[in-house]
Amino acid sequence: MRKITKLILALLLVAVLGTTAFAQSAPPAAGANLTIGLVMVGPYNDHGWSQANYDGAQYVVAKVPGTKLVYIDKANSADRPGTTVSQLGESLVAQGAKLVIFSSDDMSDEAVKFAQAHKDVFVIMTSGDQTWKDGKAYKDLPNMICIMGRMEYMKMVAGVAAAMTTQTGKIGFLGPLINDETRRLASSAYLGAKYAWVNYLKKDPAKLSFKVTWIGFWFNIPGVTSDPTQVADDFFNSGYDVVISGIDTTEAVTEAAKYAAQGKKVFAIPYDYAKAIDEGKGVSLGVPYFNWGPAYVTTVKAAMAGTWKSHWEWNAPDWKNINNPDTGAVGFNKGTLTKDASASVDKFIAELAKGLNLWKGPLALQDGSAYLKAGEAATDKQVWYLPQLLQGMEGQSVSK
Amino acid sequence: MLIELRDICKTFGPVRANAGISLAVPPASVLGILGENGAGKSTLMKILSGFQPPDSGSIIIDGEAATIRSPADALARGIGMLHQDPLDFPPLRLIDDLILGSRGPLRPDRKKAAREFRELAVRFDFDLDHEAYVDSLTVGERQQLEILRLLWLGARALILDEPTTGISLPQKQKLFATIRLLADEGMTVLFVSHKLEDVESLCDRAVVLRQGALVGSSEPPFDTKRLVELMFGKEVPQTPRYKIPCGETVLAARGLCLESLRLQIKDLDLEVYAGEVVGLAGMEGSGQAIFLASCAGLERAVAGSVCLDETDMTSRSHHDFKREGVAYLPAARLEEGLVPGLSLEDHFILAEGKRGLFIDRREAEREAVSRIASYNIKGRPDSPVESLSGGNQQRALLALLRDKLSLILVEHPTRGLDIESTIYIWSKLKERCSQGTAIVFISSDLDEILQYSDRVLVFFAGRVSPPLSAEDLGVEELGRLIGGKGWERFEASATAETAEASHV
Amino acid sequence: MSDSRALKPLFQGAAVVLALGLTTLVLLATKAPPLAAYVNIARGAVGTVSVALDVLVAWVPLLLVTSGLLVTFTVGLWNIGIEGQITFGAIFATWALRSFQGGAASGAIDPALAIALSVLAGMAGGALWAMLVGALKTFGGVNEIFGGLGLNYVATALNLWLIFGPWKRPGVASMSGTVPFDKALWLPTINEQSRFAPIAVVLALVAIAVVFALIQGTYFGLRLKAVGKNPKAAYLLGIPTWQYTMASFAICGILAGLAGAVQVTSVYHRLIPSISSGYGYMGLMVSMLVNFSAAVAAPVALFFAALNVGSIQLPITLKLDSSLAGVLQGTLVLFVILAEGARMRFMKKGGRKA
Ligand SMILES: Nc1ncnc2c1ncn2[C@@H]1O[C@H](COP(=O)(O)OP(=O)(O)OP(=O)(O)O)[C@@H](O)[C@H]1O
Ligand SMILES: [Mg+2]
Repeated sequence: MRKITKLILALLLVAVLGTTAFAQSAPPAAGANLTIGLVMVGPYNDHGWSQANYDGAQYVVAKVPGTKLVYIDKANSADRPGTTVSQLGESLVAQGAKLVIFSSDDMSDEAVKFAQAHKDVFVIMTSGDQTWKDGKAYKDLPNMICIMGRMEYMKMVAGVAAAMTTQTGKIGFLGPLINDETRRLASSAYLGAKYAWVNYLKKDPAKLSFKVTWIGFWFNIPGVTSDPTQVADDFFNSGYDVVISGIDTTEAVTEAAKYAAQGKKVFAIPYDYAKAIDEGKGVSLGVPYFNWGPAYVTTVKAAMAGTWKSHWEWNAPDWKNINNPDTGAVGFNKGTLTKDASASVDKFIAELAKGLNLWKGPLALQDGSAYLKAGEAATDKQVWYLPQLLQGMEGQSVSK
Repeated sequence: MLIELRDICKTFGPVRANAGISLAVPPASVLGILGENGAGKSTLMKILSGFQPPDSGSIIIDGEAATIRSPADALARGIGMLHQDPLDFPPLRLIDDLILGSRGPLRPDRKKAAREFRELAVRFDFDLDHEAYVDSLTVGERQQLEILRLLWLGARALILDEPTTGISLPQKQKLFATIRLLADEGMTVLFVSHKLEDVESLCDRAVVLRQGALVGSSEPPFDTKRLVELMFGKEVPQTPRYKIPCGETVLAARGLCLESLRLQIKDLDLEVYAGEVVGLAGMEGSGQAIFLASCAGLERAVAGSVCLDETDMTSRSHHDFKREGVAYLPAARLEEGLVPGLSLEDHFILAEGKRGLFIDRREAEREAVSRIASYNIKGRPDSPVESLSGGNQQRALLALLRDKLSLILVEHPTRGLDIESTIYIWSKLKERCSQGTAIVFISSDLDEILQYSDRVLVFFAGRVSPPLSAEDLGVEELGRLIGGKGWERFEASATAETAEASHV
Repeated sequence: MSDSRALKPLFQGAAVVLALGLTTLVLLATKAPPLAAYVNIARGAVGTVSVALDVLVAWVPLLLVTSGLLVTFTVGLWNIGIEGQITFGAIFATWALRSFQGGAASGAIDPALAIALSVLAGMAGGALWAMLVGALKTFGGVNEIFGGLGLNYVATALNLWLIFGPWKRPGVASMSGTVPFDKALWLPTINEQSRFAPIAVVLALVAIAVVFALIQGTYFGLRLKAVGKNPKAAYLLGIPTWQYTMASFAICGILAGLAGAVQVTSVYHRLIPSISSGYGYMGLMVSMLVNFSAAVAAPVALFFAALNVGSIQLPITLKLDSSLAGVLQGTLVLFVILAEGARMRFMKKGGRKA
């Protein structure tokens, strides 16, 4: 059956798709003008992940002459039924895009399909590992570059801020879905919190409670995910006075503000987007955020200059100034912190800058199995592909 | 109200249903409108009552030209119509049906309406409960409801399109008394029928339509022979009754007990023999319909058995009965018998029950043409059944019968048919009898019962008489039995009766 | 007769103009440039070969679903449960593909056979779910609209449970669905990367042709019509009515299941949470628009698919929501139905020779 159809359609194929059939192995230099296409999973103004990417792309347009941006947001099958992400990518190409940024982990399959189908288009896969030679998902895709920021550091900072603030010793983590990335980020927050709890506050680590609740996706989809508002409420109602958000949207902060208005002393730490801090004045302890601009600029310039080479990057903060918009890949905006807590956060950042590594043994996984021997520092692969949450954390390690 | 029609024309495709009809109806009179099936009677009435616009011609009411755009329009002018086939009856309470049609305020006064309804019902001696549901009524009762509704809405002219076809004799007598009463009070009445005796006994004047044209009119005393000639363009001879010798038992009901909402039938025994015709008489809703349905597997018996050819068919499905050669023709043609929206040809194909994948349309059309011809249906193979005149729908229903049958169960076989067709249909049915088919039929027409049955079963409120020989039964006696009088004699000697019946 | 034929396009043309008018008003009310919006939709639907092929990709499930719905509409049923039937077809096809995956990789089973069997499994799944609606109606007295809606929810819940539970990606549950199947198990597309599987188009065209022939020319179709128009009379005419009702559900379910299977094997190459993509509801709209007749279903479905695909351009170029396509489709259906009603009234009143 297949053969016959293929035969019949071979002719059609030549006639119809003559142009796309000739695929290059590496895209040529884009030259002085480049239209950038951006595919976002959520609304472009979500005050979270998608908006951070949107701002990153706008930063490119501002910094690199000759660039233009076209974008499509809400690229998920619930919001745009019947479409595929690669199809949406193509619709950007139709608007002239020569470089397409797929800005969500959820799009990786489709981004790979797209990159394979459009070898003449540059592809940035944000948060992916498909072009990491040592990674588990490696594919030979000359037109694709994967970019990620080392958010682990800023999640540790968030953990410190949380530990220095909590009165009950109970920290909640509002998690999205369970995967390698979210596990390592939740664990980073825990490592930071534990470090501050033991080293700054000199408290018993057994008295620190750190619980992760996953909602099932990066943002709320009514009827499909758990409601993050509900999850945040549950945290605040059961004695957790600081909630660290791991999702793309700001429900944790909104709910904290609501409870604070009722007189409860509760706090939250949003995620992803630098200005998310403005959302809940007085309840936001700070925000660990991505600064996609600089990395996007470098990549876009490479595409224009013809120096594009497929690779994977996991970009570190600029330890000289983690909030420099023109350099680091990740940062932390401090919010409402006590003087003491604020000082501890600064101190912790300075220690990190000097080489403090919390991803160092002895560390065990949640089920008690060994992860890092005493004194052993985790490799990038060990961190990236963290198989479980760490020992001492409550919550699901693997989705059931 | 004086109603004048001038030069009314209406065509349906090639059919000239009304070809320039002019007519005047004075107030306080009953005008009879006669005509064979498909003559154009209903069409003319529908034009007058706003259901259809004429192609040309005018309507003049009390000397003033009137354009009637809709039934509501007609009603507003005081013209109400009682349909040949009662249109849709939703499952409403009587009182709601009444109120729905009114142009009253948004929140109708239910209490007041109910009181007025009761007063009207009492005046005409109608036994209707305003809290009952419309779909539980018999055809006759629906008709009474319609009359009350139209009067309640202020009708000053009443159009009755074949009102006597579905109702029993006492109901008919009541209806005629009502019409007379109304006419005497000043009502203008148009009475459509092809039953000469009805027109003769009720009307002040009669007109005859044939093929869409008005061919004559007559005043009392009516000359029946002339009217028949006007209607059919020829004389119609009555066929003499003839008897077909009976054969084996085709249907045997033993100790049958049936129950419906309104009545119970207990221990009904009946054997029907091949080639025999059994008539079921009684007021509508006396139990004959559920008995007939139970013989077709459409009604479940509470106790007792139904056998066909000695095969026990009790609680088998209608389709099993069908396979055994039983046909059932319901009274409500467009509601139960035919499929509105499908053509005559489609119906013949369906009735044939042929197996196979693709329909051979050419073959089907040829078959349809031949059936249409042999049953004398005014219509084409592609005519949708709802476009046929009432009489032609009935013929179509009969034309759907399969060729080989052991038993035909039929409700009101000639309801709505003109004399010629009635005779024709019965000749068709009798033809089947001579081939060994037995027929059990319900009719509210006593003459039909006596004319065509070999034996008669009378039903009264669930009580069933033993089979009576039609030859020995007079119209008067039958009428009394239907009315519930003279039943004592069956109770006195039940055993003797059965013996008497079985020798027939 | 001839008059009524001549009038029909006139009224329908008026309906289209009205629908466009109302949509334009909506656009103006939101301060969007209407002309640019329409041009963008058109360009997004036929501007390049690739988008035109995408229109065909969307056309396939829509046409399949519409074909199925025409059958259930013929027996007078509102098969709202169609969405669940698509989903179930997708689930069954995925289940089959998952179980063939190993065999296909090791060469134990011919991939073409595996695909064919999975598509069949999808059809069976759709039929099963549809017949459940039918059974609820015939034996439980549950109206098919309520039964269908209920079963839609169950199908969605089951689908999510599978994606986030038993069929989740190793260690990761993701809204983006299950792990994509091996390329060998994709419905053959015109080239390695395209979503366009010609065989799917052939299947859809065969489906609508079969349904057309079924309704127009067969005993089966005529009986379905009779059951739809008057079940009582149909029963007395000897048609086993409930069996025919069930059969129509089964046929509709088979086609809906096929649509779901095609989505899985040729568009997404995996099971995703909203796999039915609303094609079921859109199919209901198309069926209403074509006045339940199969003859014009294919072009109308193509038009709807084009609107859907074309409207993807709107958020990109004009920052408008894609749901504008839905507005246009909805108003179109509404006005065409209204126009038909108006035409009927017109014919009745002033019409000569109706
Ligand atoms: N809506 C319609 N479409 C097509 N033909 C019609 C329509 N209504 C009536 N006719 C045709 O017009 C003719 C007259 O029909 P009409 O119903 O007026 O007859 P009728 O005198 O009432 O007959 P019957 O005694 O059988 O009721 C018939 O041939 C009928 O088939
Ligand atoms: Mg008539």
